[in-house]
Amino acid sequence: MAIVYEFVWQVLHVLLHIHRTLITWFRIRLRNWNGRLWSRALTALIVPMALSFPNQKNIVPAPGKRVGRRYRWGADGKSLEKLPDHIGLLIAEEEPRYTDIANLVVWCMAVGISYVSVYDNYGVFRRNNSRLMDEILKQQQELLDLEGSKQLCVEFLNNGTDKQDQQVLSCQSVLKVLSPDDGKLRIVQAAQQLCRAVEQREKTSEDINVTVLDSLLRESKSTPDPDLVLKFGPVESTLGFLPWHIRLTEFISLPSHVGVSYEDLFSALQRYASCEQRLGK
Amino acid sequence: MSWIREGELNLIEKLSANILKAGPMPKHVAFIMDGNRRYARKRHVERQEGHTQGFDKLAETLRWCLNLSIHEVTVYAFSIENFKRSKDEVDGLMELAKQKFIRLLQEQDNLEKHGVCIRVLGDLTLLPLDLQQHIARAVVATRTHNKCFLNVCFAYTSRHEIANAVREMAWGVEQGLIKSSDVSEALLGHCLYSSNSPNPDLLIRTSGEVRLSDFLLWQTSHSCLVFQSVLWPEYSFWNLCDAILQYQLNHRPLQKARDQHREGQALQQLEADRACVADLLQHHGNGKPLDAQRRQEALLNYTASREERVQDFLGALQHKRDSFLTDLTSQAALA
Repeated sequence: MAIVYEFVWQVLHVLLHIHRTLITWFRIRLRNWNGRLWSRALTALIVPMALSFPNQKNIVPAPGKRVGRRYRWGADGKSLEKLPDHIGLLIAEEEPRYTDIANLVVWCMAVGISYVSVYDNYGVFRRNNSRLMDEILKQQQELLDLEGSKQLCVEFLNNGTDKQDQQVLSCQSVLKVLSPDDGKLRIVQAAQQLCRAVEQREKTSEDINVTVLDSLLRESKSTPDPDLVLKFGPVESTLGFLPWHIRLTEFISLPSHVGVSYEDLFSALQRYASCEQRLGK
Repeated sequence: MSWIREGELNLIEKLSANILKAGPMPKHVAFIMDGNRRYARKRHVERQEGHTQGFDKLAETLRWCLNLSIHEVTVYAFSIENFKRSKDEVDGLMELAKQKFIRLLQEQDNLEKHGVCIRVLGDLTLLPLDLQQHIARAVVATRTHNKCFLNVCFAYTSRHEIANAVREMAWGVEQGLIKSSDVSEALLGHCLYSSNSPNPDLLIRTSGEVRLSDFLLWQTSHSCLVFQSVLWPEYSFWNLCDAILQYQLNHRPLQKARDQHREGQALQQLEADRACVADLLQHHGNGKPLDAQRRQEALLNYTASREERVQDFLGALQHKRDSFLTDLTSQAALA
């Protein structure tokens, strides 16, 4: 009898995997089909213009269009009932695509989110920090045409030390690149610090409470806890993302960061805007 | 038994359970039982009735878990944040809890028969004294049972739990039982209220909210999270099966992530021990560098002595917690 059950279980899981694969395939096809529909529509409009400007054959939209997008994205952000102060991008997939992540970061900042964190379970982003930063700067230029203006710029926090060769001007947005070491390990380090203080009779055990621990775990007084985490990938888990900080964080899952579009991000933000936080009451 | 509904699964449910059990099953499931008040609004009944129905649903769900061979369940019954609610509601919840714990104590034979061990996780000192005493009696009475485990989080938030664990380690340092260099991820885990349980494999939250609300944040870092939109009093056997299916689909990648984390932890511990040994040798050595074999011996000795210190400390901590509960029960007996 056990063999029968096992067989049925195997069949069930094979069907579920097929179901999942089909959904992913349809989603990609639908996006491509939609994309082609849009590009066909645009070509229909632009072709007359293209005839008068024979050299305008590049895929990158004209600078005017980029500035238009930047203002549209900013307006989108303002139209939402609430916007997260701090958004976390949790990449729960094996192979990260730096361009897609850079796009997400740039869109988040354009929409008006002040703090953006990027996290993966293997610490890949932390190790390849500079590659990610380069990609973000490139996409910032590409998508928002900000070569000249410095309205939106990024301050890279790498364990509190800023890199000297980065543009740290009037920063509207802050990017943090996180790894599992920023989670439990940070809490353990704070605990060791407090225990050392007790060992040296600077504190007693009774002095230790949530507030004391929280102030040690907060990188800077102004950095808020993540309000929203977008999780990309099929794994349904936080995978060690900042356990202390996520007590009230909303989790929204997206199937994949590969080929993610602005619309995907915006619909997640709309979903966040509609949730109600009662805070225990 | 009032806390675990009597009954068996029907044929279709039994068949589905057997199919699910052919795959990996969670051994420990955690529930955030959300949606009682919305259910009450939907059914046009009093809030208190919503909470009562929520408790009945818990009893039914525990029965299903036992049928599915899930022997450990943790539930989020009352958060420290919930004290912010109206006095009437809080008093109502405290009264409901008191009634349920009194009832539990009346069913001791059944509890023994089923081997149910009840634990209450949280800062019990925040609760009314009579409720503390009932809880203490229930926990002490079922302490030795080991067939299935029910952990009720009452007056609990994860941040309080973690801060409390750090405070306990600091207490250990104050008492001279451990050194500050003994503090590690593993030791912190052993100082949490949930130290006698393995981490939950699966965390289920009902009512459609997609946040953790300060519940088991440390313990669920590599658990499968399932958010279901059904309201808790309307939870069904099929909702539970759906959640277990999600667990099975995520089993392998989560196992891999957990193993990787454990390896990283072991490496960090080794590095920490090495650093301590190097420090010791520098301070107590005679200046001559030791050869590799002597260094290795010193490292092994240090690790063994650290582990012994930690075991003694954890024993003392368990004794402190047990004494707190037995003091409450003897207070209750005298009263």
